[in-house]
Amino acid sequence: MKQRTLWSVALISGLALAGCGSAAPTGSSSGASSSGASKSKLVVWDWKSGDKNVASYVEKAKADFAKKHPDVTVEFVAQPFDQYYTLLGAAIQSGKGPDVMLFNGGGQIRDRVDALLPLDEYVAEDKQRLAGWDAFGKDGKVYAAPVTLQGHPIYYNKALYEKAGLDPEKPPKTWDELMSDCAAIKKAGAKCFALGNKEGIGIQFWLSGLGSGILTPKEYDDWIAGKRDWASPDVKQVFKLWKEVNDNGLNNDGANSTAMFNDAFSVFDAGKAAHIIGLMSDVGHWKDFGEFLGDKVGVMQAPVVTAGAEPSLPYDGGIGYAVAKWTKDPKSAADLVRSLTSTDALNAFYTGAGAIASDTTIDVSQAPPAVSTIVSQLKSGKPALHVALSSKTVDLMGRLSQKVLSGSASVDEAVKQLAASDRAG
Amino acid sequence: MAPAVLIIVVLRLWPLLLGVNFSFTGDGDRNGTAVGFDNYVELLSDPLFRTALGNVGLLVVLLPVAVAIPGLLATFIYLRVPGNRVYRSVYFFPAVLSPVIVGAIFNLILAFDGPLNTLLGTIGLGPVDWLGDPGVAMFTVVGVHIWATFGMALVVFLAGFSTLDSALLDAARVDGASLPQTIWHVIIPGLSRTIQFVFVTTMIGMLTSMFGLLYVMTAGGPEGSTYLPEFYIWTQQGQMNRPALASAASTVLFLIMLVVGLAQMSVLRRAGRED
Repeated sequence: MKQRTLWSVALISGLALAGCGSAAPTGSSSGASSSGASKSKLVVWDWKSGDKNVASYVEKAKADFAKKHPDVTVEFVAQPFDQYYTLLGAAIQSGKGPDVMLFNGGGQIRDRVDALLPLDEYVAEDKQRLAGWDAFGKDGKVYAAPVTLQGHPIYYNKALYEKAGLDPEKPPKTWDELMSDCAAIKKAGAKCFALGNKEGIGIQFWLSGLGSGILTPKEYDDWIAGKRDWASPDVKQVFKLWKEVNDNGLNNDGANSTAMFNDAFSVFDAGKAAHIIGLMSDVGHWKDFGEFLGDKVGVMQAPVVTAGAEPSLPYDGGIGYAVAKWTKDPKSAADLVRSLTSTDALNAFYTGAGAIASDTTIDVSQAPPAVSTIVSQLKSGKPALHVALSSKTVDLMGRLSQKVLSGSASVDEAVKQLAASDRAG
Repeated sequence: MAPAVLIIVVLRLWPLLLGVNFSFTGDGDRNGTAVGFDNYVELLSDPLFRTALGNVGLLVVLLPVAVAIPGLLATFIYLRVPGNRVYRSVYFFPAVLSPVIVGAIFNLILAFDGPLNTLLGTIGLGPVDWLGDPGVAMFTVVGVHIWATFGMALVVFLAGFSTLDSALLDAARVDGASLPQTIWHVIIPGLSRTIQFVFVTTMIGMLTSMFGLLYVMTAGGPEGSTYLPEFYIWTQQGQMNRPALASAASTVLFLIMLVVGLAQMSVLRRAGRED
């Protein structure tokens, strides 16, 4: 089977190369525009451009780019997201591939900056207009321009609040209030939280969604800066509450076998649970929930658990376009990235896909209240806690969180292992 | 001769050697530099990889079950239980479904609030978290895999039965043998070659084609309890950006498969000689 494995690796890389090959029929790897050459081509890889609801975004970006570089054609290759980083890994190993590519912020791009071109000199003008740069930087350099912002607002179902006799316009501000509200909601026949932890993603949302109410502002900033004190009682509290809430039956049943994408979202959509820590862009966001719950989707801040904590919206750059190191013409590739983050294009992304775009100048006054609540919190928002962790630690956290829920590992044990993994980098 | 050798060398052996060579280099900051056995040391100290290897052992232990089920059902069909014609086609049906579809179907059936648990509830049994309990999930996935693939083994068994001497069965019946006695003393010895063949093919099937089911049904979880080496390799290469570590894991998997393959070949050869 090793041979099989190798075969499939050979096949996949072959396919990947064929993918670039067909995208760049000129043969000279990925043909970027070289000075004086006639028509040349930039190849973009992403997992978005095939979606119907981003068609106008891609169109606007292309038009903007065509104005600046009429002699360069752009080809978008939409890859399946499941295989995206595997295909990209094969391309990076071979040093050939797309000129411009889409990345998730955080670990996914930081692990691969060796293959990317620092963009600082090209995007200086956009620094003020766009938010979310930190998720695409490493060691003081920026490697991608943010397209959307991704974060974890706590959504709640106003209809269930009404049913439980609570004021839907006054979501709980402290943990105690939340717990008493949850007791009322339980009586009304619904669960408190919709939680999906089959992929180990539930804990990521939990950590980031509630973290600002549990850690003190100093602990929070230190965590983001890389000085993470896993022995602190507040960090432990995050995992203690994770267990407590599940033990008290406040989550939907079988959280460890419920997928966050999209079974947990469906639980919330169906009105079976009153709260969910969701997303700002892509899926599981205000627009998705709104399709089922109408204007009954509310957004609340993290409840205060620790005295002195200052709840804030956790968010980072969600997805962003980067330029490969091997591109022939870095200038036009970087210009393409700038077109992909132009106000016009991002406005189309926001209206089409419902994503919270990175452009802070987009007008959201016409949007549902959930959006304006989220956007109003952007200014005071901070980077999400789990995004600061390495992908290895996040993976471990997923498995440990399942163990904590099932009782096969204690909170202390889990935190100890996470601390060790975090220290190892 | 020469072209065949060339194809094997260029397309099989050479990549294999490249992969093994690659497993002795580092990832990330140490990309491209030789690191000796570091990747192998890391593998052995990774509890996740040890779980994956342990699960390979579990598959071997469960192999007799995976062979016995189609064998028994084929026996019933051969002995013409009522409705055997219907069963013959019904049993084979899952074998034509892709693992992804099978996985998606069973994800629905086995969900915590799914129909199976509802059924268990009506007869007074507590819900089982089929895919969320680390002690249960691996057995669930293997069970679904057996359900999805036993049709092929069943067909092989039925073919084997057609070579069975019916005079022996008649003699057993005349002697007043019970059904278990007939199976144990007549059918099993008569089908020994078929059984060995099914053992080998089922083993290969279990070790090579579980990925799709695992990916769809558990993604290695819960608590990493359903990892298999293939899934580990995929995760390290695609999700963790550790291609060299993945190569080391592939090399270990290759060595295991080499041993298993050689053992199977000797079993088959011995079976052929008995003829």
